[in-house]
Amino acid sequence: MTTTEERPAPAAEPEFERRAERAKAVRGFLQALPSYAYLVFFFAIPLLIVFVFSFASRSRTGKPVLSDWNLDSYAKLLQPVVAEIAARSLWLALLNTVLCLAIGYPFAYWLATRRSARYRAVLLVLVLIPFWSNFLVRTYAWRVLLGEHGFVTELGRALGLWDKLLFTQPAVFIGLLYGYLPFMVLPLYAALERMDWSLVEAARDLYASGWTAFRKVTLPLSRPGVIAGSILVFIPSLGAYVTPDILGGAKTTLLGNYIVRQFTAARNWPFGAALSFVVLVAMLIATIIYFRTDARTI
Amino acid sequence: MTVAVGLHGVTKRFGDVAAVDSVDLEVADGEFFSLLGPSGCGKTTTLRMIAGLEFPTEGSIRIFGEEVALAPPNKRPVNTVFQSYALFPHMTVAENVGFGLAMCKVPDTELRRRVAEAIELVRLGGMEHRRPTQLSGGQQQRVALARALVNRPKVLLLDEPLGALDLKLRQAMQVELKDIQREVGITFVYVTHDQEEALTMSDRIGVMNEGRLLQVGTAEDIYERPANRFVADFIGETNFLEGVIVAEGHVEIGSSHRVRAQTNAPVGTAVTLMLRPEKIQIHRLEEVVDGRNRLEGTVQHRLYFGDSLFYQIELATGDMIDVRVENVPSLPRWDAGQRIAVSFHHDAADALTE
Amino acid sequence: MNVPTHAAASRTTDRALSVHGVAVFLFLYVPILLLVVFSFSGASNLSVWGGWSLRWYQKMFSNDPLLRSMRNSVVVAVVSTGISTVLGTAAALALERYRRWLGKRTFDALLYLPVIIPDVTMGVMLLMWFTTISWPLSLTTIILSHIAFNISFVAIVVRARLANLDPSLEEAAADLYADRWQAFRRVTLPLIMPGIVGGALLALTLSLDDVVITSLVQGPGSTTLPVFVFGLIKRQVTPEINAVSTVMLLASMVLVFGSLAFQRDTKAEPSPEAP
Repeated sequence: MTTTEERPAPAAEPEFERRAERAKAVRGFLQALPSYAYLVFFFAIPLLIVFVFSFASRSRTGKPVLSDWNLDSYAKLLQPVVAEIAARSLWLALLNTVLCLAIGYPFAYWLATRRSARYRAVLLVLVLIPFWSNFLVRTYAWRVLLGEHGFVTELGRALGLWDKLLFTQPAVFIGLLYGYLPFMVLPLYAALERMDWSLVEAARDLYASGWTAFRKVTLPLSRPGVIAGSILVFIPSLGAYVTPDILGGAKTTLLGNYIVRQFTAARNWPFGAALSFVVLVAMLIATIIYFRTDARTI
Repeated sequence: MTVAVGLHGVTKRFGDVAAVDSVDLEVADGEFFSLLGPSGCGKTTTLRMIAGLEFPTEGSIRIFGEEVALAPPNKRPVNTVFQSYALFPHMTVAENVGFGLAMCKVPDTELRRRVAEAIELVRLGGMEHRRPTQLSGGQQQRVALARALVNRPKVLLLDEPLGALDLKLRQAMQVELKDIQREVGITFVYVTHDQEEALTMSDRIGVMNEGRLLQVGTAEDIYERPANRFVADFIGETNFLEGVIVAEGHVEIGSSHRVRAQTNAPVGTAVTLMLRPEKIQIHRLEEVVDGRNRLEGTVQHRLYFGDSLFYQIELATGDMIDVRVENVPSLPRWDAGQRIAVSFHHDAADALTE
Repeated sequence: MNVPTHAAASRTTDRALSVHGVAVFLFLYVPILLLVVFSFSGASNLSVWGGWSLRWYQKMFSNDPLLRSMRNSVVVAVVSTGISTVLGTAAALALERYRRWLGKRTFDALLYLPVIIPDVTMGVMLLMWFTTISWPLSLTTIILSHIAFNISFVAIVVRARLANLDPSLEEAAADLYADRWQAFRRVTLPLIMPGIVGGALLALTLSLDDVVITSLVQGPGSTTLPVFVFGLIKRQVTPEINAVSTVMLLASMVLVFGSLAFQRDTKAEPSPEAP
């Protein structure tokens, strides 16, 4: 045995392990800290401000007065005009989600079932281009098509189907469908593409018809894509601003425009705050319910 | 004997579960030591603690006398061959192998020389500029080995390195690993759940279960003289017969069958008699058996294995036992339903008390 | 691999699907293509074709307010992408590589909110916040707002990449004497780079796309290109807007193909050869 005075390195004790864990936790926290602080300062606190301001009263310029707290803004939410706008927004968002799904699912299925991987890759790029293309520009394209002398307008007149579409609800609807269809297709494609097709073969082998196999195997397995796509379409449709502003008219105001108007023309910040807050809460609840339902059925 | 790796009272708790429970172990310098056990027995956690990838909750880990229990992995003179190989996919074979040396700031010329040597050692010459994904499983395994050995670690740790290979390749690699170990003379600590691998390659084996090190010994020790029922059951095939010590070296099984066995347990102790299937002989009932334990029974099933035959026999005590008979010429065949006698030497019958 | 089989659809169904597929592609592409074609029309309005001409591009490049907004857009996109890529990557590492730390669950939730919150709500709350703390609306407030939503998108993309990274690679680096920084620099970072680049390209696209938030938090002279164009569209449609739109589409296209090329580059590994 050596008899050096040097103190040997210590063996492990529970305290050391706890200290190491703590050091690791501190490192993780420090790495998150810049973005954490950023999101608290530029997201969480602003979110809180919206809530607080919704109880303020408005000054003559429309800005909130932080002394006279009341529930006026919430009372205003019950007005028929608000209910009408909310109902219209909800209806359009739901209709858009359902139609995007109805058009997008067979489309994604077709993309995902092409045998050649190279062909699939080319088709995928063709879907990615509109997905990444500027949303405003894509909406503008329809502004031209639906315009006074636009192709679609002329086509409708020639067939005697419609005289004028621009600034009507159908125009807004076409714009939303066109704008958000790629958001539905991509998650659906991702879910179908990584599916194990031998499961479908197994179902067929076990006497399922093509349709039954689809309903019992393919559809449930692509469910995550359906969920993700629906959320990606529903939420921005409900808060849509650009599309109704460009393609819609006075009678097609949606929640997004109505909220922004409170901060511009209407100058009623507290009411705008209350509206934003209610929309946000409704949307969060809808999202959570959607995810929950899914968790139960899978 | 110089101790290469010494574990003393090493415990690792994850929450309330002790993955490794007060393990004491000494691995000698130059030894090929295997940790053997079923999955979840704590063998990999033990290895990871030696590597520094996990810190023990309690206890001491020494490598050639130096305490390293709390040293980070990059400060330990050991290297690991990971189960998944963990080859860096964005580097070539040569870059993978040279990684450790580059981290230690080894001069360029020496680095290149040592990388070339290591690649030669594992017989991968010509593959230096390939990426890991371009290699077969066996080749990837050799790169992982070279990448660890090139650093000349004092101890090489291997975590089920052959687990992902197919049977033929695995057997070839077993021989090769053993040769390489002899050539470089480095202490190997080898983790496996494959008993055959452990028995054929190791100088000594440590059998683990539920976080505890149950027995340490040579392959022969562990097979012939297992310390307890778990070891006996886990290694090879075994018949167990429940009994009671009725006199010194005598066990009674069933109600009235007395046999001699290896034991020094006191009279009255309940024991489990352990009998390997290949150490039992089958006789015609009328055959005289001298100096061996003899029990009567009935053949239930006969299974043909090519190199051997397996008989399932119901003893007169009510116990079922397996008997393995080597398939040699002019071997008598026993049929199902036939009444026979079995015999075994008392050295072959171990009476285990736990 | 996972090749779709004949069990996927009968021949009739498949033919119907193909017709549908082509129709959807036409629906997606015809409006954009018409828009691009008419940007090269010499006529002053969009109802007639006036022969091939570049006059609207010339007009666009002499339109000073438009060029200023274009410059603003580039500044906002580049600065916000740069900052949010660094912050988002650090956040992804903290969430994916550290098991427990103070406030991790809250942060995880907080990080996802900007993704699902509607643009309008996000814009409104940032406007109120900047007004409350009396921060003058300017290019800076636009950049700050863009960072606020881009951090999340970068973090989600990088996190997905990290989740697929075998943790034993980092352990192997440590086992081979790399310290924490070296292991990150030499092993983790190169392997998550496709995720980081993908996240950054997404951030660039979102920043160049945004109309709603920017229009709420912009100050005088800080208008970005999409907001400027949005204003033009609401007044009237002109072939000049088609020209600007074509340039914007071109920028999107460059980003798509840039990201695809980068992904192919990192995935491009020759198929394994038989030993």
